[in-house]
Amino acid sequence: MNDITLKIREIATRLLQNGQVDIFMGWEKGQEEYTTRPFFARRVEDVEKLIFNEYSIHNLSNDLLKYRDGQEKIGIVVKGCDSRGIVRLLQDGQIKRQRLYIVGVACPGMKDPLQAVKDNSGFFPATTSGELARKCNDCIEPNPVIYDELIGDKQTPRVGQERFKLVKDIENMSADQRYEFFEDVFSRCIRCYACRQVCVACNCRTCIFDEMKPQWVGRETSISDNFMYHLVRASHMAGRCIECGECERVCPVNIPLMLINQKLIKDVNKFFGPYEAGMVYIEGAKPPLSSYQENDPDNFL
Amino acid sequence: MSEHKCNCENPLVPGVVEVIDIKDETPDVKSFFVRSIGGGVPFDVMPGQLGMVSLLPVGEGMYSVSWQEEQEYLHFAIKRVGLMTNELHRIEVGHQLGVRGPYGNGFPVEECKGKDMLFIAGGIGLAPLRSFIKYCFKHRQDYGKIQIIYGSRSYADLCFKDELFEKWPQEKDTEVYITIDNPEEGWDGHVGFVPAYLEEINPAAAGKIAVVCGPPVMIKFVLQSLEKMGYTDEQVISTLEMRMKCGIGKCGRCNVGSQYICLDGPVFNLAQLKQLPPEW
Amino acid sequence: MPILSKSKIKDVLNQLSQNAELFVPLARGDESGFYSWNSYQEGSDRLMLDALNVLLPPKSIVFPQTERMYSFTGNGTTVEIKETFESPQPRIIFGLRACDAAAIACFDDVFLTMGFVDSFYQARRDNTTIVAHACYQPGANCFCEAMGVDPTEPVNADVIIRDTGDSYIWESKTDKGEKLSAALGALLENKEAKSPQLQPFKQQANYEGVAEKLKGMFEDPMWEELASTCQTCGICTYVCPSCYCFDIQVKSWGDEGYRFRCYDSCMYSEYTLMAGGHNPRSNEQERFRNRFLHKLQFFSERYGKPLCTGCGRCIVACPVGINIVQIINQVKEADTSVRA
Ligand SMILES: Cc1cc2nc3c(=O)[nH]c(=O)nc-3n(C[C@H](O)[C@H](O)[C@H](O)COP(=O)(O)OP(=O)(O)OC[C@H]3O[C@@H](n4cnc5c(N)ncnc54)[C@H](O)[C@@H]3O)c2cc1C
Ligand code: SF4
Ligand code: SF4
Ligand code: SF4
Ligand code: SF4
Ligand code: SF4
Ligand code: FES
Repeated sequence: MNDITLKIREIATRLLQNGQVDIFMGWEKGQEEYTTRPFFARRVEDVEKLIFNEYSIHNLSNDLLKYRDGQEKIGIVVKGCDSRGIVRLLQDGQIKRQRLYIVGVACPGMKDPLQAVKDNSGFFPATTSGELARKCNDCIEPNPVIYDELIGDKQTPRVGQERFKLVKDIENMSADQRYEFFEDVFSRCIRCYACRQVCVACNCRTCIFDEMKPQWVGRETSISDNFMYHLVRASHMAGRCIECGECERVCPVNIPLMLINQKLIKDVNKFFGPYEAGMVYIEGAKPPLSSYQENDPDNFL
Repeated sequence: MSEHKCNCENPLVPGVVEVIDIKDETPDVKSFFVRSIGGGVPFDVMPGQLGMVSLLPVGEGMYSVSWQEEQEYLHFAIKRVGLMTNELHRIEVGHQLGVRGPYGNGFPVEECKGKDMLFIAGGIGLAPLRSFIKYCFKHRQDYGKIQIIYGSRSYADLCFKDELFEKWPQEKDTEVYITIDNPEEGWDGHVGFVPAYLEEINPAAAGKIAVVCGPPVMIKFVLQSLEKMGYTDEQVISTLEMRMKCGIGKCGRCNVGSQYICLDGPVFNLAQLKQLPPEW
Repeated sequence: MPILSKSKIKDVLNQLSQNAELFVPLARGDESGFYSWNSYQEGSDRLMLDALNVLLPPKSIVFPQTERMYSFTGNGTTVEIKETFESPQPRIIFGLRACDAAAIACFDDVFLTMGFVDSFYQARRDNTTIVAHACYQPGANCFCEAMGVDPTEPVNADVIIRDTGDSYIWESKTDKGEKLSAALGALLENKEAKSPQLQPFKQQANYEGVAEKLKGMFEDPMWEELASTCQTCGICTYVCPSCYCFDIQVKSWGDEGYRFRCYDSCMYSEYTLMAGGHNPRSNEQERFRNRFLHKLQFFSERYGKPLCTGCGRCIVACPVGINIVQIINQVKEADTSVRA
């Protein structure tokens, strides 16, 4: 990984030096050896702070939204999942391809610094950390799908037959069991909306949950409002979630949001034919569920 | 019908009032006159203080009490801008509302005694100032010369027209200056923005207190003009506006620096404003 | 001195939950927080008295995330306020740490002083008894001491318990505490025991003079830099034991309804959004700055102490690793003389 760090710094230096980018998005070291965090270099002097290690998990593509109205040219390091986030933004017309210089890193799998901090916090019963992050075990594409420059050796997908295993477990429950399961899960939600904030696919300028006229979803933390929130969120994710797992990773009460997202991915696959969101970017092409045709054919692509 | 008046034990629970009169001021401002069920006002206010008005079940909003008429009624002048105000503009006389208060510090009516008063307002900003203006007329001997400069987009958008054109100019030692942003047919008065008109009138600073209220841009330029004209920071008073929910300094949102506008404000003099972080 | 043997802890909790709703720190599934002892499930729940603390703070017991305020009926013309929901129910918080006790002291300042008393809070607060748990082994992210909180002498405690290994010293501090002691009767033994020694802190925050210094740093470029990676997700304010901002909303059906309040956060843009679209803190940098200035400067100016009690939760939960200790130290060390 040290090689990758050096390579990233080299590229960042070059891009910042010759003015090809104004901002270069990568990661820096935090206070502990496991607390890597996002870092945006703006000057060549900043570049030495950039690192890439097994904790560089954050999907930086979401941060591009902060600059969507600007003119800055942005360099950004992406892993497989993050690169699908970029495709999401391009397809949604959130940012222009010309403003981006994408440095792809074939991803060896990440650990979650947030989990590591929690494990060391004394706020939870002692657990075994040091494993691959959950989202990385379910990764269908560790290699960047869009980039200007690629670093590292091609990786093989880690997920096999067992994709959707959890989803199937839930599907196999009885209706009552399933209701109980979701009631238990959703009643924990504190409605902080962090899952929305970190989501690259949640890029509406005015989110339905902030809408007050009319107010679609009440702000009460009650089981009915919580259900409503999660149903609406999930339906807005159909065909859009690029499986970066950030929502589930950041949730302070560990709600299994990826389970819900994966259920939708599975259903989109089943009802509309095989489709993985954010895998290819073709300028001008519309992804399914963003396009509408009379008598939609069964097979999409 | 409820006998429920001001719920003094719990400041977040409104008392019920009845709307006894509604008056169109402009195409988007209406005056609401309210009194407690069974008569009387829900609470006494000083000029510049606020009331939280609630239209159940829609919402609550903070409004300056534009005038308290003895123990008869409270008068709010409310502009239609959003969810609740839209609904409020549809109600009729006899409708019941919730109201809680009084909130905020109000204008320094005592400190201003003996001074000449210069009131400068734009648009709905006249609503809070009006309570102070009427207070001065009511205690006319306590205040010196009174000058009122008021502007709005058009003639139709001027609030309280009968007072502006009929009553106030009749008061002793009082001058009322009115301007609208753009020329229009039938208007032979002044045309132009308030800050420019103020500089044209150029009221001397000596012995005077200037009270300013209006949209943020207007306030900003008026403050600059006043400074140019030699008004000291202590001679200039303004009111701040922030989004509000509780009105009692608890819910957090209306802060500018360490000050809660609902409780420590909304009235500040310029010297105090300059102590605050520039978030207003 | 009265001693509570750890072997009797469940009997004690059972006893205390007879006459009041008792809240204890539990790990429940993937969550950890304060939960009612009545809801404790042997096997799936784990009592966290031996752990440092829990992620969700006990603030919800005195200031619930969603709290009904009053109900009303109104058919368009007439309106009636029906019931005001001030909660008189007795509650006990068992095992909260000094940082969280200090945060409740901040709430007391906010809700009970400065002109108005918040009756909803007061009703809960007056009926809450606090059994605080003195700390001797600060955790990886603790910095309470730097924020003026003594971890071994929790404020606001009716009883303080001190862990001596296989038992707790039971030190009652107030009349409410004496009542609990009396209720426990023979479950408390009388023995000699020695208080443990406070171990050193791993986090070193230097807050001295920071509130003062921040006055001149409102426009400092550090805010833009620090805020650049913030997701304005609000997690930090939700898990914070001392954040108290709330929104007031309404739920209604037909002629009936109720008003409730619920947590809100200055990290959200609609928090300050005014009708017509004006927003004094429209970008994330302004909101980020407001959070830290409120915690470290504004609250101090108003109430004479910071609104951060050093519990470390925001450090643990922030998805992008924003660290308040580092920010305090950065302010402390900033050379403001070179910046105009
Ligand atoms: C000190 C003070 C005095 C005011 N005096 C008057 C007055 O005399 N006449 C008048 O017409 N208006 C006045 N306002 C503005 C008035 O409070 C808002 O226009 C009104 O609350 C908007 O409500 P809404 O539901 O229609 O708008 P929405 O945008 O639907 O409101 C959503 C929520 O935000 C709150 N909110 C939105 N904008 C504001 C705002 N600018 N200030 C405070 N809360 C807001 C609302 O109360 C409501 O809870 C005053 C505001 C303040 C702070
Ligand atoms: S992050 Fe978790 S707690 Fe917050 S709104 Fe999303 S699901 Fe709920
Ligand atoms: S911050 Fe202090 S009081 Fe809180 S858990 Fe850590 S050591 Fe204990
Ligand atoms: S938890 Fe972190 S990212 Fe989220 S709002 Fe707080 S500081 Fe920003
Ligand atoms: S700001 Fe952070 S460390 Fe301070 S009290 Fe809140 S959560 Fe704890
Ligand atoms: S930091 Fe923000 S959310 Fe927390 S109490 Fe202060 S203003 Fe409220
Ligand atoms: S409106 Fe709640 S603090 Fe001012």
